[in-house]
Amino acid sequence: MSTRKLEKPSFPIYFFMGKGGVGKTTSSAAFALYLAKLGKKVLIVSLDPAHNLGDVLGIKLGEKHAQVAENLWASEIDFDKMVRDYMRSLADKVKDMYGYLKIFNLEGYVDTLRYSPGVEEHATLEKIKEIITLNQRKWSYEVVVFDTPPTGLTVRIMALPTITLVWLDKLMELRLAILGRRKMLERFTGERPKVVMGGKEVEVATEPEEDPVYRELKAMREEVMWLKGILTDPAVTSVVMVVNPEVLPVLEAERACAFLRRVGVPVKHVIVNKVLRLTSVPEELKEKVREEEEALKLIEEKFQGLARHEIPYLPWEPRGADKLMRVAEYLRGMFGGLEGK
Amino acid sequence: MPNPTNGLRKRVFNAVRAISEIFKARGSEYIELELRELENIFALIVMGSFIGLPSPPTTVSLRLLPHMGRELLIMSSVSRRLDDMLGEMAGLFDIT
Repeated sequence: MSTRKLEKPSFPIYFFMGKGGVGKTTSSAAFALYLAKLGKKVLIVSLDPAHNLGDVLGIKLGEKHAQVAENLWASEIDFDKMVRDYMRSLADKVKDMYGYLKIFNLEGYVDTLRYSPGVEEHATLEKIKEIITLNQRKWSYEVVVFDTPPTGLTVRIMALPTITLVWLDKLMELRLAILGRRKMLERFTGERPKVVMGGKEVEVATEPEEDPVYRELKAMREEVMWLKGILTDPAVTSVVMVVNPEVLPVLEAERACAFLRRVGVPVKHVIVNKVLRLTSVPEELKEKVREEEEALKLIEEKFQGLARHEIPYLPWEPRGADKLMRVAEYLRGMFGGLEGK
Repeated sequence: MPNPTNGLRKRVFNAVRAISEIFKARGSEYIELELRELENIFALIVMGSFIGLPSPPTTVSLRLLPHMGRELLIMSSVSRRLDDMLGEMAGLFDIT
């Protein structure tokens, strides 16, 4: 998908991240619903392979955007299909070009690549890119909210543009060295180096503008820079970290935040979900409450500078629009700046 | 009467040209070798995951692959000759 002529999006993008089971889907759904009630046209997309956005909203969801409330549309991405489609689009191009090079068994190589490490991350990032691009060109939602896979996968997805840029810069440097040598040979011998491909002798490029490899590297760099620009722009992207008041999720979230800060992705909010606020503590729960206090102190220490929002442990299951709106009341602090825009 | 200096000048000029051609041919051989090795390295880096090397993100490798016919041919030809790199270097530098 070409992104070269696109500006930065004019709509905010929210990524709800956290360990599995902390309440990302509930928080993101409540947030999206409240924004829709404020009059914003909102799209919420679940990228989690273990979807439960439809369960939380009380409506069956698929890839197609379904209107779940006034101003609110939702979809669940079919993760396996997304990865398959992504690999197929790349593989078809390779097989077309190399039909005559079956001696390299490239077909087998390309089909095996779908199981390579990193394919899921790439496919998910491509899907995020596609949604942002389509929203700019076609859909016009005012806010896009992503309910993401568990932290480990999402952090790798967010880091991909930075890692990819490092590789692309090195490959472009090496490619220029190759083109420089080819140019030297052309000057020495008076003709361009050639290669026999598909039974035909073909001259190879000596200038970057003529070299398909360099052009592809340059195009990829522009796309990655565009996406990195979006993910690292605090005016566009906000990461909301969801944790429970337990030490392990807090430490995992803290490491994720530190990593995201290193790659320039702005983390702005932390939601502490399922906080036990009891008027009188039964004996059986005293230890639990004490551990929770310890975790809350850790949150205050580790997430300084982030806006903190607390959702208590609710005596009812937060499913369906009405109950999610009650959850959203605890997130009012997140809507400053979005209300009335 | 023919000028003997002209004949001598012409012979010197031809000799210098011949030497220059030899150096040019040797120089272009070295550049060809460098070029071949750089293209081999480029192919190895892009397709490195195939042989256990750290490699770029899969997207990068697959998007470059359709344009890397020459590099793949070079990579496979170099790998065939890996058994006798010493012989190849000796041939290049005329070591007998």
